Amino acid sequence: MISASLNAYVAVSVLLFAIGLLGVLIRRNTLVVFMCLELMLVAATLALVAFSRHNGTMDGNVLVFFILTVAAAEVAVGLALIVALFRRRRTVQLDGLNTLRN
Amino acid sequence: MTLEALRLAAADNLWGAIMPELMLGCIALLLLGLEIVLPRRLHGVIPDVAAAGLLGTLLGLALNWSSVAVGRETFNGLLFHGTSGQLMRVFFVLSALFVCLLARVTLPRHTAPRVEFHHILLVVTAAMMLLAQSNHFVMLFVALEAATIGLYLLVGYFRGSTASLEAGLKFVVMGALSSGLLLFGIVLLYGVAGNPALPGHTTQALHFAELSRFLAANPDNFVASLGVVLVLAGVAFKIGAFPFQIWVPDVYQGAPTPVTAFLAVASKGAGFAVLMALCGQGGAFAAYGWLTTPVLTAIAAATLLFGNIAALTQHNVKRLIGLSGVSHAGFLLLGVIASAQTPMAAGAVYFYLFAYLAASFAVFGVMAHVAGQDDSEQELDHYHGLAKENPLLGAVLAIGLGSLAGIPPLAGFMGKLFILVSAFQAGARALLAVAALGVVISIYYYFGWIKAAFFETWTPPSGEGAGPARPERSPVTPVAAFVLGALALASIAIGFYPGPLGELLTLR
Repeated sequence: MISASLNAYVAVSVLLFAIGLLGVLIRRNTLVVFMCLELMLVAATLALVAFSRHNGTMDGNVLVFFILTVAAAEVAVGLALIVALFRRRRTVQLDGLNTLRN
Repeated sequence: MTLEALRLAAADNLWGAIMPELMLGCIALLLLGLEIVLPRRLHGVIPDVAAAGLLGTLLGLALNWSSVAVGRETFNGLLFHGTSGQLMRVFFVLSALFVCLLARVTLPRHTAPRVEFHHILLVVTAAMMLLAQSNHFVMLFVALEAATIGLYLLVGYFRGSTASLEAGLKFVVMGALSSGLLLFGIVLLYGVAGNPALPGHTTQALHFAELSRFLAANPDNFVASLGVVLVLAGVAFKIGAFPFQIWVPDVYQGAPTPVTAFLAVASKGAGFAVLMALCGQGGAFAAYGWLTTPVLTAIAAATLLFGNIAALTQHNVKRLIGLSGVSHAGFLLLGVIASAQTPMAAGAVYFYLFAYLAASFAVFGVMAHVAGQDDSEQELDHYHGLAKENPLLGAVLAIGLGSLAGIPPLAGFMGKLFILVSAFQAGARALLAVAALGVVISIYYYFGWIKAAFFETWTPPSGEGAGPARPERSPVTPVAAFVLGALALASIAIGFYPGPLGELLTLR
C-alpha cells in the first residue's frame, strides 16, 4: 500500500487553507465567499485527521465531528441570511451591501 | 477501551458543577414549550420567564459561590472551575438580564418574534459561560462556535430591516473567517504538540495544561508559534481588536440595539476570558510570552489609537459606541499583557469588565429608549434636549458616558487606574503613553454626546429639504427606571468604594 507522508497531507491542507483565505478576501460573490469559508474548515479537518493518524491520538478525529457540525450550523445560518437579503436587494454581491456606511 | 476505562473517564463528570449552564439550557427549551402550550394572549409573559430564569441562575450562582467544584478540573479536563470562571459566569448572566430589559423596550417596536430572541439569548449565555471555563481546545472551539452562531442569528434578527440582515451577513462572513483562523491554529498546535518526534510531546495535546508543558519544553518551535499567532488572530476578531475590527462599526449599527449591547459587553467579555486563559499567568501560551507579548502590544497600541480616532468623526451613536468599544478592547489588552507578569493585572481586567458592563448598559438603556422605528439610524441629533425632557435618562447617560470616558470618581476611572498601575508595574511604559493619549481623545467624543443631550436644544426641522423628524422616544417604565438608576448608582458606588469588588477580583 502506498501511503503519503504527513508532510504531504499538511502541505495540501495548508494550500487549501490559503486558497480559502484568499478567496474570502478577494471574491465579491457571497456564495463563493461561503464556499471559501467552508474550504478553510475542510483544510483544518484534513490536517487534523493526518495529525491524528501520525500522533496516534484520537482527539483530532473527535474534533472533526464537532467541526462538521459547526460548519453545517454556520452554513445554515449564513444561507438563510443570504436568501433573506436576496429577497430584499436582488443581489448576492458583497459590493451591494452598502446600507451601512458613515 | 474496556468498561473500566470508560468508568474511570466518566468519574469526574461532575454535572453539579455546570448546573447554571444546564439550568439556562432547560429554561431556553421551556420558553419554546411555553409558546406551544400557552394561549396566544399569554405569550407576553414568556420574556418574563426568561428574565426570571436568569435571576434564578444568578441567585444560584451567588449561593454556590464556593461550591465543591471551584478549583477543580471536571469532565476529563474539559472544564476548569476557577474564581475567574465564577466571575465571568456572573458577568454573562448579568449581561443577559440587562439585554432582556433592553429587549422589552426595543422588540415591541418591531414585528420580530420575541420568544425565539430570548431562547437564543439564553443558549448563547450558557455557551459563553462554558467558554469562560473551558480548559481544553475542543471545549473552547465548540463553546465559542455555539455562542457565535447564536449571535449571527441575533444580529440578523430584524428580518424586515435590510440593515439588520446586512449586518448579520457581514458578521457571519467575518465570524466564520475568524473561526477558520482559530481552528487552523488549534490544529497546528495539536499536530506539533502530539508529534512523537519532539521532546515533551503529549497524548493530551488539546488540554491547556498539557499544551503549556509541551510549549515550555519547545520554546522556539516554528509551527507552534504559527499556531499561537493564528489562535490569537481568531480571538482578536471576536474582541474587535485592530486589524480585525473592520466588522465592528457596521455590525454594531445594523444589529438590534439589545444585541449591540450584548455584542459590546458579553461577547467582548468572552473574548477576554479566553485571552486570559491563554496568555495570562499560568495560561496555555505562558511559555510563548516572547511571542505573545510583542504581538499583543502591537495590537493593543493600534487598537487604542484606531478606536479612538475613528470614533471622533461618528454621528451615529451605535457606530460611535462600537468604535469606542474597540478602544476599550485596547485598554483591556493592556491588562492582559500586564497579567503575564503582574498578578494584580488579572484582577484589574475583571474589574474593568464589570465597570464596563455597568456603564455600557446604562448608555445602551438610554439608547434603546431614544431610538425610533428605524433601529440603525440613531444620530447624535436625536439626543438634543434629552436632559430637559427626561432628566432621568439624561443623568443616566451622563454617568454612563462619564464612566466609559474614565472621569473620576466613577467606576470606569478606577478600572482604568488599576490597569494603568498594573501595566506600570509590568513595565509597559510606551503602551502606557498610548493608553493615556487614547483616554484624552475619548473624552472629546464622549463629551460631544453629553453636550448633545444637555446643552443643545431640539428645533424641529422646518421648510423645504428639512431632515426627517426626530423619532418618538419610548416611555420609561418603572422597571426600566429602577434598573437604569441602579446601573448609574453602581457606577458611582464602585468608583467611590471599589473595596469588596476589588478584593474579590484579586483572588485567583
